[in-house]
Amino acid sequence: MGFRSMTVRIDEMTRTAEPPRWWWWAAIIAVTIMLMLLPSYLKISQINGISKLFPLGLLAVSMGFMWGFAGMLSFGQTSFFGLGGYIYAVLSLYSGETSWPLIAAILLPMLFALLLGYFMIYGRISDIYFSVVTLVVTLILEKAIRSTSGDQYTVLGVRLNGQNGIPTVPSLQLPVEFKTELHAIFYLAAGVLVLVYVGLRLLLTTKFGRALAGIRENPRRMELLGYDVRRYRLGVFVLCSGIAALAGVLRAVWGNYVGPQMFDLNQAGQVVIWVIVGGRTTLLGPIVGAGGVQYLAAWLGTQAVGQISLILGLVLMLVVLVFSQGLLPSLGIAFAYARDHLILRRKI
Amino acid sequence: MSAPDFILETRGLERRFGGVRAVAGVDFKLERGELRCLIGPNGAGKSTFFKMLTGQMRPTSGQILFEGREIGGAQAHEIGRLGIGIKNQVPDVFDGLRVRENLWLAARFGHPAPRADVVVTAVLERLKLTSISDRIVAELAHGQRQWVEIAMVVVREPKIILLDEPSAGMSAEETSRTAELIREVNRTATIVVVEHDMVFIRQIAKKVTVFHQGRILREAEVEQIMRDPVVRDIYLGKQAAA
Repeated sequence: MGFRSMTVRIDEMTRTAEPPRWWWWAAIIAVTIMLMLLPSYLKISQINGISKLFPLGLLAVSMGFMWGFAGMLSFGQTSFFGLGGYIYAVLSLYSGETSWPLIAAILLPMLFALLLGYFMIYGRISDIYFSVVTLVVTLILEKAIRSTSGDQYTVLGVRLNGQNGIPTVPSLQLPVEFKTELHAIFYLAAGVLVLVYVGLRLLLTTKFGRALAGIRENPRRMELLGYDVRRYRLGVFVLCSGIAALAGVLRAVWGNYVGPQMFDLNQAGQVVIWVIVGGRTTLLGPIVGAGGVQYLAAWLGTQAVGQISLILGLVLMLVVLVFSQGLLPSLGIAFAYARDHLILRRKI
Repeated sequence: MSAPDFILETRGLERRFGGVRAVAGVDFKLERGELRCLIGPNGAGKSTFFKMLTGQMRPTSGQILFEGREIGGAQAHEIGRLGIGIKNQVPDVFDGLRVRENLWLAARFGHPAPRADVVVTAVLERLKLTSISDRIVAELAHGQRQWVEIAMVVVREPKIILLDEPSAGMSAEETSRTAELIREVNRTATIVVVEHDMVFIRQIAKKVTVFHQGRILREAEVEQIMRDPVVRDIYLGKQAAA
């Protein structure tokens, strides 16, 4: 009972069906300005470390949005993350250009999602099989890529290199000049993340977004009301796959490298963990979860503690047991509690 | 006098389960604007009859005419689109969403967005639910959840509303509030209520159809039904007579 009313409290705070208030826009502008200024105060290695987190945050959002707002648990957003990276790598190495390969690297994975999603969603497989199939697909892609180590495995003249991945992936050619290439990646990835975040937040206020919430709550009722639930589910799956693919391109550009580990179980599992830790019922949660967990892992790496996975596992267990909603929603609950019991009481 | 305008009619409607005739050839006529109660003891066939009217069960034989159109065997969602609003016994709502959002999702299908907002606000006021419009449905009492679902039916502006035991499980106070709400809705829509609770039926107090053994036993004003010795005998028992 206690947990149920806590869930309700956080819902009360988010009000996603309504357009964002002025303070939300103010916060977005403040964060944007902060991100623009940030690189001047950081060392190159720090810029590099933070730039790496943006694509991962984007990947987490693409999974968390589907799970938290449409009730679809995809265990394999890494399929589209990896495909986006690989398609961009191959096409840009083949053509020497970067703009149309970027677009193709988003659209082709979306097309694949449309096909895969059509069979899963229109075939009305149950929720658990949706998770299983998406996981299996990403593992199949991983195995397929890993087995392409010979000379004979080339696409458009680009060697796939199996386990070793493709190095020398070209950076995006941008119309604006930046101080260094690292600055360019930082601004690009941060900008994309903010735009996607704002876009998804606004999407939640549209008929499509509000219908998704209805489908999450009670799909059968939505069908009785006349909504074609399958079309909405397929739509959100394709959209989020596009976001994951974009994240894959950014990841490829960041390290000038793509490899089969973009698809693997470790990566796929991490996305789910980020979203659980950060909290799937908010849009910001997955981003914070991805950044926080990755940062923690990197920091543990420098502390010579050894068993990083073990410690991360303990952190995950702690979060699931203590903050069952994830960190951000729990913070929201604490905030609402403080507001109601400390501040308001004093006023009365 | 002009001929009566029948919005809903069944002709020889029948549903068999194996050898049992749950509904055994029912001829039923409903005038536009009526508030009709269907009553009967358990197994009288009223629930089966209701399920056929709402497209949740196919008739074995016979016809169902809605505004003169045959709708027997139509799918549930097709029936919804014709302007028939249905509310089953168990509340079927969006628990994690606000009351207003529940209504909006119901109103938005078929209405453009600005119109949906207007309709939702009007219905909330009309059914006196404005004070709870910002509450999460999961937090509400059983009775309130039922009213939310009735409101979800009303925002779709149906011509006829079919309600299955809307007062089941409600307190006396909630029951009379429900009766009030149904009378209000009846001002703009024809209503059929399947009901057990005689106290509730007296509060709605219009024409009553009594089912018995798959057939219509009586059809009359509520006071007349209450006095009818045969109806008392088979269904009402001593409590209502007292």
